[in-house]
Amino acid sequence: MSNMTDRISGAFFLVFGLAMFFLVIPEYVEDPQGGNLSPKTMPNIVAWVLAICGGFLALRPTNHAAPDARFFLKTTAYVAILGGAIYAMSLVGFLYVAPVLALVLMLMIGERRPLWLGVGVVLMPAAIWFLVTQLLERALPG
Amino acid sequence: MVDFSIILAGFGDVFTPFNLLFVVFGVVLGQFVGAVPGIGPVMAMAIAIPFTFGLDPLPAIAFLVGVNKGGLVGGAVPAILMNTPGTPDAAATAMDGYPLTQQGKPLKATKMALFSSITGDTFSDIVLITVAAPLAVLALKMGPVEIVALMIFAFSIISGLMGESLIKGVIAAALGLMISFIGTDPEHFTPRLIFGFWDLFDGLALPSVAIGMLAISEILRRMAEGRGTEGQGILVPDTGNPEDRRVSWVEYWACRYTMLRGATIGTILGALPGIGSTAAAFISYAMTKAASKEQESFGKGNLHGIAATESANSAVVGANMIPLLTLGIPGSVTAALIISAFMIHGMQPGPLLFQNQGRLVYGLFGAMIMANFINLWVGQAGLRLWVKVVSAPKAVIFSSALLLCFVGVSMATNGLFGVTVMLIFAVFGLLMHSFGYSMVIFIIAFFLGPQFEKSLSQAIALLNGNLLNIYTSPVAVALLVLSGVSVFWFLSKRTNEEADTTNLGVPDGETLDQKNP
Repeated sequence: MSNMTDRISGAFFLVFGLAMFFLVIPEYVEDPQGGNLSPKTMPNIVAWVLAICGGFLALRPTNHAAPDARFFLKTTAYVAILGGAIYAMSLVGFLYVAPVLALVLMLMIGERRPLWLGVGVVLMPAAIWFLVTQLLERALPG
Repeated sequence: MVDFSIILAGFGDVFTPFNLLFVVFGVVLGQFVGAVPGIGPVMAMAIAIPFTFGLDPLPAIAFLVGVNKGGLVGGAVPAILMNTPGTPDAAATAMDGYPLTQQGKPLKATKMALFSSITGDTFSDIVLITVAAPLAVLALKMGPVEIVALMIFAFSIISGLMGESLIKGVIAAALGLMISFIGTDPEHFTPRLIFGFWDLFDGLALPSVAIGMLAISEILRRMAEGRGTEGQGILVPDTGNPEDRRVSWVEYWACRYTMLRGATIGTILGALPGIGSTAAAFISYAMTKAASKEQESFGKGNLHGIAATESANSAVVGANMIPLLTLGIPGSVTAALIISAFMIHGMQPGPLLFQNQGRLVYGLFGAMIMANFINLWVGQAGLRLWVKVVSAPKAVIFSSALLLCFVGVSMATNGLFGVTVMLIFAVFGLLMHSFGYSMVIFIIAFFLGPQFEKSLSQAIALLNGNLLNIYTSPVAVALLVLSGVSVFWFLSKRTNEEADTTNLGVPDGETLDQKNP
């Protein structure tokens, strides 16, 4: 049932396009008078293109197969870590978060060699700090 | 036309030690990242762009061009040594390169790849330098009506050629356009689709979107697929015969027609939006094999196979700049990144670029030529080093790349909001890739969206509010007819078909399954 992937994504874009046209664009795009091209015109056209193509794809899918659930679970875990790192950076800054983030990621990937862990956790954040704050004279995130 | 003194001054600008140094940096970095399977020049360019903010335009652009050119050379190294292309462009190189490694001739194979890559690249750069300025003069005669028609034509070609099907290509382009509408509209300057987030008033920053989709999503995908485990040391076989460690002049010269064919194919395909280096490499390989009297030797370590693919995929780089510099239309994701770097540094790509900043353009051309020479020298000196790089631990590389992305986007967007947007688009890119939608089409559409809407608004004004008056512009009518024909052709050819080797929906940096054309 590999073509279910396209049926699902096609149905999504059908609903997304219609939702944009009927709900989102009327609510979140202003419509001033005058001018050659209303701010709504292009978004509305594109919303219909999405809806029509989505419907067409749902009816005539390709054989594309999406990755399995395990892949999405692992990526969700990585995304959650990165999201948490961004939040932590907003609280304590890049310098404190970067080594921890690097360590967690390297352990999750499977790196166990102390030397390489040291390179990733100490050397790389230090090199980035030197490049950004000392050479480029810019601020680190956070 | 550009004054001759400006051309000379532009070429002369490259020869300052400072500018040359950045070309060298770019080439070294490009060869390094190209040699590491999983990074690739596109990701490296995306990460590097914010770090060039503090530089003058010429060294910044020259650096990025160096990364791109070096990446193509470096990408051949893992393809030849490990049968794992560092970039999709190098997938065809592995077909004859890896058998040579198995025969104990890895250095001969990598050197042939280096020489043919630089030959093809130099050929297309010369074509670019020769035709870009005259084309820009022609392009200057185009008004908003023709530009709108040209963009529609470009969208139809890009959507049809990239990705798995035309429908999915159109959806990716439409999504890119929809996302580009976020922010103020170009005519009335009223906020659109900002959902109360005033950080979005100026629209989404290209570095956030591009780095999120091209770099972060690719790293996440590789980590999730378990490709990021510790690097394995590789054993490079060696026959001990000095002849097997070098490419003789006779061997190089014997491949001259193969390289010329590859360079021509790469230049033609590179000048057309949407095709690109992977397709050029496979087409060149297939044509060379078909023309050869020793077809049975292809796939078993024939130097012509390496020469065909490497000359073609490298020739695309220079030719890609033709639509970019003359029309302001990026034909590939690499070109889209270069164009964004241009804009960051105050250059507006398009026909006026030659008039307004001719010296800078010819400086760029000079940098491209110098990058080819430096590629040769760095490649000769660094090949043995890149062999080591191939087996570098991916955990260190991925975590470092992620940190660099965080810092780069934060610098480009002045804060963590841009970094959050980057992560959102990383997830978005991951989903697009997983469901078979081309991120490349998305980014090109996202980039062209504001210009398209602005030109459409101007075109409506010129046509007195009635688009049917378009018949007054025969060029626009011809382009729209061509768009219709190409859509019809792609629909009849590609709908419901599996993507073949010309499928460029696969992001740069991804390992392709090697197909025997």
